[in-house]
Amino acid sequence: MTTEDDRYRQSSQFRLWSFSPTSLRELRVKTNDLAKQQISPRFAPDAQPDFLTPAEEALLVQFFTTELIRAAQFCELPTEIRSTAAVFFRRFYITNSVMTYPPTELLKTSLFFGCKAEGYYIRLAKLAEMFPNTTSEQILAGEFLLCQGIRFAFDVRHPFRALEGAILELRRQLPEQEGRVAKAHAMARDILKFSPLLTDAYFHYTPSQIMMAALLMVDKELVDILIPAAQPGDEESQHVTSHAEMRDKIIKTIESCRDMLEKEPPTRMKEYWETPELVKSLKPLRKKLQKCRDTDRADLVALQRARREQATTKVKKPTPPSDGAVFGDAEPRDPKRRKLEAANDLFGPAL
Amino acid sequence: MALSPVVTTTTSSSAPSNQTLPNPQTLRTASSPLKNLASGSGQTSTDGTPKPALAPSSAAPPPPTSTTTNQPLAPTLDLAEQMNEEEKRKYVKGKKLGEGTYAVVFLGHLRSNPSTRVAIKKIKVQKEYTEGMAPDAVRELKHLQELQHPNIISLLSVFSSKDQNLNLVLEYLPLGDLEMLIRDTDNVRYGAADIKAWMGMLTRAVWFCHENFVLHRDIKPNNLLIAADGEVKLADFGLARSFADPHRHMTSNVITRWYRPPELLFGARYYSGAVDIWSVGTVFAELVLRAPYMPGNNELDQIKLICESIGTPTEDNWPGVTRLPEYTVPGQHPTRGRDWYEMRFGIVGTDGVDLLIRTLALNPQKRITAREMLQHRWWHSEPKPTRKDDLPRKDAGAGEDKMGGDLKRRPGVVADDDRGAKVARKLDFGQR
Repeated sequence: MTTEDDRYRQSSQFRLWSFSPTSLRELRVKTNDLAKQQISPRFAPDAQPDFLTPAEEALLVQFFTTELIRAAQFCELPTEIRSTAAVFFRRFYITNSVMTYPPTELLKTSLFFGCKAEGYYIRLAKLAEMFPNTTSEQILAGEFLLCQGIRFAFDVRHPFRALEGAILELRRQLPEQEGRVAKAHAMARDILKFSPLLTDAYFHYTPSQIMMAALLMVDKELVDILIPAAQPGDEESQHVTSHAEMRDKIIKTIESCRDMLEKEPPTRMKEYWETPELVKSLKPLRKKLQKCRDTDRADLVALQRARREQATTKVKKPTPPSDGAVFGDAEPRDPKRRKLEAANDLFGPAL
Repeated sequence: MALSPVVTTTTSSSAPSNQTLPNPQTLRTASSPLKNLASGSGQTSTDGTPKPALAPSSAAPPPPTSTTTNQPLAPTLDLAEQMNEEEKRKYVKGKKLGEGTYAVVFLGHLRSNPSTRVAIKKIKVQKEYTEGMAPDAVRELKHLQELQHPNIISLLSVFSSKDQNLNLVLEYLPLGDLEMLIRDTDNVRYGAADIKAWMGMLTRAVWFCHENFVLHRDIKPNNLLIAADGEVKLADFGLARSFADPHRHMTSNVITRWYRPPELLFGARYYSGAVDIWSVGTVFAELVLRAPYMPGNNELDQIKLICESIGTPTEDNWPGVTRLPEYTVPGQHPTRGRDWYEMRFGIVGTDGVDLLIRTLALNPQKRITAREMLQHRWWHSEPKPTRKDDLPRKDAGAGEDKMGGDLKRRPGVVADDDRGAKVARKLDFGQR
């Protein structure tokens, strides 16, 4: 194996945020189950809400990702930052449920933190001004939550530079076909700005595979030039065989990635996600979310305050048994517990 | 201090042999919690979930099985919180080693193996910074998460404590930093072979950063920490950043002044790994002289010292230099010749002097790169570098106070003692 592959395997993107489709699905189911378990006690046993399914959650995350992309475009954020923010947002909702934390809020937090992680220091107040009814405090309230949710992995590997590299190589090999290469460049870049963010591509494929898949959608022959078949007779036969096997494997991977990206081509933004029909069709789902969400955690600002308060109020050491305990009071409670309730923090010491 | 988790041994005389250093690979693997939770093995796509059943590219290694605690986790936690708890539970926090405005550092050890010590650095919430998580913490985490190399401090884990503070679990580096060794001229003796060994470790660290497209931007002796086995590790990534794309400018206000290259002093906004190489050169010179080579009192003084010690940057030796935003020079000094260096730095031999001259080239485009440095003939010439176990170290006990102080520093900032003057390191986050 080449050292480049080894190096990619050391990245947090591979170590922490790459999964097989099965394990990703299991994580989502688990996240969904846990959210239901937590929210359920807040309702009377005979008035349990209709909870979102993992598939519905995924659909909502997808929808809010398009909202995030639009917001980033509105704020004129560079492509890489927009993509980083979108990847953070999607990673967050693998281990957190849409029912637990409101995506409309996390979306803005992702944008803000995406800027920070890319070293692009936009003023918080300036960003807040860009959104209606949004304060700096609201954007900040979810920051730590987001960081924890993304496992403190702040470096996201995107396929954009890979594309620039591939295009340079194609220009070198096809000097007389500048127009064709330029066209493929522009189209592939458009795909990369949208399709991998709307699908699970970042979770299953490497940046170079995603880049090749985009190129495959645009101009298949260019991929054949970049990943040439071994010339028979070039080298010893055994080498040629293993090259062919490896190439076969690579091409299959790229093709499956292409199939994934093709579900969400860039044209879908205008023709599907931004249409009034789609927004309307999502209404029932959003209503459903309103009814089954974790009301205690929907307000991130209040939640954040409570957590800060909880942290600053020193938890006392257990005191000697009180009268109540000694004399068999009905509700012996430890001081810690009482403190939590005082802070209106019903979900317990979380972090 | 670098953000160093440098931690001191209490019984400082304890031989390094009883401190088993964590094997970063092992710990890394174990600290990949996501893979533990989803026991996905089957590749069949049962329900309507879209997509191909291909694992990430070149077959991922099998998910490591959790070797640590398998106690059941509180069911009331989110998945993210559970994973956080699982990380937290892997370590036991011990006594406080130091506290400052930026962080508190604790000694710790692995729950599953108490002989594996770690430093747990808890980053405090910054009251004066109102824009959330401090950028230096973000940078430090971002880059340490990606860089795993024997000469770069290992980040073993990250978790949040219940008061929403960040906890960085770092490898335990009990022997202080290179600055302590350089300064203690009364008790510490070292020679050319030792300098060569230390420079080799520093150069490999910088090469690895650049190979991964990361600029460190704060290389100096007290950011070079020493492990129990004598291995030097580059720490303090609070000013690091990824290589910028063309046309994206960077701040020139980085690197502690004495180690800052002329292009940054002249306000260059587009620069390269050459900025770090200059710092490496100044550290090299300092190792030989046992005193900072060009300790300027302010930026103008720094430029003056560079002109005197190395030569005045001009259009002749550096085409385009006069067009840098803040180009000003105090007077014309000819570029120093090889003989001049031989007189001062001859202890490292002709080849060593050659390498030094190349790292201190005024024109960053002519400056040697980290890769070229590693290919330099000095490493092969006599004397051979000292084996790391035989490198000089600080006498037991002598350095404890210093190390306690080290822990308080925030990344990228020098403690505000007498050396504070040389730092100009406030980044202007309001630029945009």
